[in-house]
Amino acid sequence: MSILWTLLWKDLLTEWRSRDRLVAMLVFALLVVVVLYFAAPPGQAGTAREHVPGLLWVAYIFAIVLGLSRSFGMELENEALSGLALAPVDRGLIFLGKAGANLVLVLIMQAVAAVAFALAFDVNLGPVALPLAGVAFLGAVGLCSLGTLFSAMAVRTTNREMILPLLMLPLMVPVLLGAVQATRGLIAEGELPFSALQLLLVTDGVFLIVSFLGFEYVLDE
Amino acid sequence: MNDQGMTASSTTSRAHTITALLLIVCVAIWAFLAWNAPIDRVQGVIQKILYVHVPMAIGTYLGFICTALGGALYLWKGEERWDRFALSSAEIGVLFAVMMLISGPIWGKGTWGKWWSWDLRLTLTLLLFFVYVAYLLLRSFTEGSERAARFAAVYGIAGLALIPLNYFAIKLAAGRSIHPENLGGDSLGTGMGWPFFMGMVAMVAVFAFLLVRRLEVGSLRAEQTRRLALANREGMT
Repeated sequence: MSILWTLLWKDLLTEWRSRDRLVAMLVFALLVVVVLYFAAPPGQAGTAREHVPGLLWVAYIFAIVLGLSRSFGMELENEALSGLALAPVDRGLIFLGKAGANLVLVLIMQAVAAVAFALAFDVNLGPVALPLAGVAFLGAVGLCSLGTLFSAMAVRTTNREMILPLLMLPLMVPVLLGAVQATRGLIAEGELPFSALQLLLVTDGVFLIVSFLGFEYVLDE
Repeated sequence: MNDQGMTASSTTSRAHTITALLLIVCVAIWAFLAWNAPIDRVQGVIQKILYVHVPMAIGTYLGFICTALGGALYLWKGEERWDRFALSSAEIGVLFAVMMLISGPIWGKGTWGKWWSWDLRLTLTLLLFFVYVAYLLLRSFTEGSERAARFAAVYGIAGLALIPLNYFAIKLAAGRSIHPENLGGDSLGTGMGWPFFMGMVAMVAVFAFLLVRRLEVGSLRAEQTRRLALANREGMT
């Protein structure tokens, strides 16, 4: 367990010192809010509520893809990635440490982007803030687990920025749909649809298992 | 050529002949049956596209299942031939998927009046197509055949494992489907069952024919790479 904390702490500390990934994700998410506002300006209150869940998750996914592309990229400096791969620890723990650090960054980005969306589209998220944070967390777990696996692959390819979204987006659909349905249910009716929650939980479980097992084969010296 | 090489060569040659004969016979029977099948009373002659479209879907799914299977066997046994099997299956699967995604909308335009619908099965098939295009791109962007094989195997297995999840996710989002249900014993008119059945058999034959040839290309490339590496090493010493 201490190894896992060490790995997690290493990533968070590195990020805290440079803050480049978090800042890039935040600025990008806010830019997507602005671009989406001009692409789909809010009309009636009902119409805005209808579109916000989908737009919010599109912004999240774009920012996550951007952030995760650097997750292993920063390990290339000074051959840190080789050191990580050669470390005498279970690769599953390395995966959990990396995915955990990514999750923390994504959760911060999600919170800031949600506030920006609420202001830009004039939607009151206050009454459902807690369940909405739960949905964002479940969505982020799925996205970060599979994203971390693909990021480890992408870093060893010749076109890493191009390949990561191509690998991630087709397989992210279950998380996206579950999260959008759950967010829509919360914003429109104030209730969390059970089917969406079920889908998110099952998806997270499958993504975590697939990524945990697959990571063994993708981390190169 | 040594004895082992000659045996492998004669096995490949036999596989070529068998799959080629199977292909010619099956496709000829399929074409005959589809040509002579009765015209659908409601849809008209455009319904005959389905004799091509449905077998293409069978070829697509077969390709992607073989890709995941080849990937899993490669990770388990570490033998290069399983990676070649996975890659060949993915390429053929993508080829079938392209033909399926072309034939489907042509039929859809004639029957539904529109080229595309964000229906459960259409969406899932499109996503599957993107997964395997990404699989091929991942291979071409990854340097080193062993690394490319490992990465592709993991991605191919993940792609197949997520199909059921995607299925339920899209079902939850879309709710209803306008795509015809799976073919059943009583869902076809008189005389339409055999062309469908033969179409599926013919597509399996086409798949086998292409797979044998693609596998041979793969093994020839591997052999060429091995010889070049050997020649380089000898040149250096």
